[in-house]
Amino acid sequence: MLELDRVETFYGKVRALRGISLKVREREIVTLLGANGGGKTTTLRTISGLLHPARGAIRFFGESIEKAPPDQIVKRGISHVPEGRDLFPDLTVDENLAMGAYTKKDRGDIERSLKRVMDAFPVLGGRRKQHAGTLSGGEQQMLAIGRALMSNPRLILLDEPSLGLAPLLVQEIFKIIREIHQEGTTILLVEQNANMALQIARYGYVLETGKVVLEDEARQLSENRYVKETYLGAGKRGEKVHASPGHP
Amino acid sequence: MLLQVILSGMATGCIYSLMALGLALIYKSTEHVNFAQGDMSMISGFIAFTFFQLLRFPLVPSLLIALLFSVGLGLLMERLLVRPAITAPHFNIFIITLGASIVMQSLAGLLWSYDQFPFPTLFPNRTISMGTVRVNTVNLGIMGVTALLMLFLYLFFKYTKVGTAMRAVSQSQNAALLMGINVKRSFALTWAISGLISGTAALLIAPVIFLSTRMGLVVINGFAAAILGGWGSIPGAVFGGIGLGILENVAPYYFPSQIRNIIPFAVLVIVLVIKPTGMMGEERRKRV
Repeated sequence: MLELDRVETFYGKVRALRGISLKVREREIVTLLGANGGGKTTTLRTISGLLHPARGAIRFFGESIEKAPPDQIVKRGISHVPEGRDLFPDLTVDENLAMGAYTKKDRGDIERSLKRVMDAFPVLGGRRKQHAGTLSGGEQQMLAIGRALMSNPRLILLDEPSLGLAPLLVQEIFKIIREIHQEGTTILLVEQNANMALQIARYGYVLETGKVVLEDEARQLSENRYVKETYLGAGKRGEKVHASPGHP
Repeated sequence: MLLQVILSGMATGCIYSLMALGLALIYKSTEHVNFAQGDMSMISGFIAFTFFQLLRFPLVPSLLIALLFSVGLGLLMERLLVRPAITAPHFNIFIITLGASIVMQSLAGLLWSYDQFPFPTLFPNRTISMGTVRVNTVNLGIMGVTALLMLFLYLFFKYTKVGTAMRAVSQSQNAALLMGINVKRSFALTWAISGLISGTAALLIAPVIFLSTRMGLVVINGFAAAILGGWGSIPGAVFGGIGLGILENVAPYYFPSQIRNIIPFAVLVIVLVIKPTGMMGEERRKRV
């Protein structure tokens, strides 16, 4: 369904992606793992057209999309839940969801998407006239996912959906991701919580400094010694390798 | 008598509100400061004057042509001056618009001379009594048209898809792009609306203060109004403008009339000392 072929993306003069190749098949969950600065977010931003690769190809159902602007990407059926949710804080919940369906013209379609989102996130139902900025962290993440669902995408790019959430909410969000997947949506998931990500994904890629250093079935990856020590925190006590910069 | 002074102050205040509103809309969407807002207004006034006085068009079509022109001028400014410099620091854009303002003034002087011209009004110039208060109908017209325009803008931004998308763009360009919103078109539309507001302000105020190339200086009062109300706040711009207009009219009622030009800025300084964000401005909060 989605294929990246030796994609190189620059931030100014910095080569953030140094030839990323990956594949996402229809109806599966694929995860990108790796430390901050590894290029996971850049990969997602390149797919959704916020950045354009200097070299390499991105194909969606066989068609090249690496030069398409973001609105074309949304119309083709790719929806991106950005890092840190990036809601419209002074717009109401309803207005945020309406913006999610911005590229949709058919009112019936929009109504159906809205109903689907409200069924998936009943907690949003009671807050529809409330400004998004006043929601709790968990509610905001649900709204961000709901907003992405409003365009009725075939593929959802999820960037760190569990970031900053309490453990119970993390469980809740992952339950929702599973449900969305079961309804037939394909998911490309970027996660710091490698444990959870490898549990629900079928396939995974490990990104470091803009390159894929490892790829395998999720089950195999969670058994991999390097992944275990580096990303699953399964090293000997006191020798845990922290992924986030700033920590020793 | 005081009520009467307040009422005519409100009429002047409407013009300041419109100026402040034009500034605030552009600032909210791109954080750019458009110093040429007043001169865009002035040029639109001269366009109406040209069609009505020189080309002998009827009044209403002349005014409509001027409004249409003001929208075009807004679009032109965005396309030719702002968009090419979109990645430049905001201060550069401020200087660019300052330059545009000087060019527009000189161009207007060249084309129409630096004289003052009387300007026709849509409203009959009469005084009507409401109880003990006597109101000039031109002032009533100014307030009426301003109120209508603001209502129209409110409904547009609150209830239309395009208006909501424009608010979305002002809150997060990144997320707006991901929704498939055309952010560039949204910026252009903001300038078009700001142009329309500046044109309306010109057609309302020119009959009162006469048409001249110096008319654009009203932007200074627009800045004062916007800061008084809270820089970047839309309701702040509206109420800041009206407040400033009232102050300017009421002050000479109690003090020597020379104080008229000082009081608004004195009050502005006092308000900013007490509440640095302005009357309705929000504190800048960092989102965690």
